[in-house]
Amino acid sequence: MSQPRQRLLYLHARTPSVFSDIIGLTQIEPTAGFRVEISAEALEWPYKTVHDALVDGWQIVQFPHLQAPFDDRELDVVGYEFILQKMEVVDG
Amino acid sequence: MDDSFLLSDGEVAEFIVKGYHLVEPELPAGLNESIADQLDALDHNPGDAITEAVPELWQVLDHPQVKGALISLLGHEYEVQSHRHWHCKQPHSGHMNWHQDGLNNRDTLINRFLGLYYPTDITPDMGPTVIVPGTQFRNAPTDRMAHYTNIRGQVPLVVKAGTVAFTHYDLWHGTAANRSDHKRHMIKFLFRRTKENEQPSWNHDPESKDKPTDWNARDTAADPNNILNFSNPLQVSQSDHYKERAIRRKNWDYLMGKTA
Repeated sequence: MSQPRQRLLYLHARTPSVFSDIIGLTQIEPTAGFRVEISAEALEWPYKTVHDALVDGWQIVQFPHLQAPFDDRELDVVGYEFILQKMEVVDG
Repeated sequence: MDDSFLLSDGEVAEFIVKGYHLVEPELPAGLNESIADQLDALDHNPGDAITEAVPELWQVLDHPQVKGALISLLGHEYEVQSHRHWHCKQPHSGHMNWHQDGLNNRDTLINRFLGLYYPTDITPDMGPTVIVPGTQFRNAPTDRMAHYTNIRGQVPLVVKAGTVAFTHYDLWHGTAANRSDHKRHMIKFLFRRTKENEQPSWNHDPESKDKPTDWNARDTAADPNNILNFSNPLQVSQSDHYKERAIRRKNWDYLMGKTA
């Protein structure tokens, strides 16, 4: 009998709120040979916010780290990273 | 130098905000095709000597539209640096993930940038360079970009033959996969400021900077004041946006010839 596997979803949101809009999205399927890549086509994402993904059954396994030192000048990475999972039996 | 090829206030402000500017020079008939044919025939990468292998590349750099953009953004005494590189993306090759060039020791002032010249039309399946406008003032180790794949607002440089894309040195960029049967050629040049501006080096209208802040037209701003204030190509949060504004203003004042 097949065991559930971990599907992963990395969402980069505007703010640490689950209701803020997503700026970046990476979905990783636990199937052999699966790869992600930058697209030159128009982006079509299944979710507008992190909350949309929660409604669809994704669970957050890592919230954005907010203990970074406060700095009012420097800019680094884009958005706040949420890592989500779904444990599901998948083919492949 | 014909002033008509210099950039406008709005174009300079847009470059500060987005970190890129496209020029489509009207090159002599057959030049792009000749360069592309010579690149197709190269059996090794000559590195910095690509301009010796294909001397016609200088005609692109010397075109008034190209020089006009360079003068506007880097001053009249800009330098074409000796490092340059032919990026040949082979047919049926994979994507390249996001990165910033160089080390994380960055200067947010506009003192250097890249010029990417494409001698052929670039279609989405040919592995275009993909850039993320608005990321040029961020300082992020490339390893910390490994979780990103597609970013809202990313722009594939799907361009027509002859286009030169000027991109801020620190702009996040990657490459889509080349699923076509064609080599995708791009020649990367580096340009550097050698002298700080004492006055604007573009087609500056002294009255343009005094346009009042217009909260009702912030998405359609065309003057430098409102572009620098409101443009938010990544749709980042208020905290980040305020930081970006401060860096933009510092850049604008620097290019205007004020002490940064």
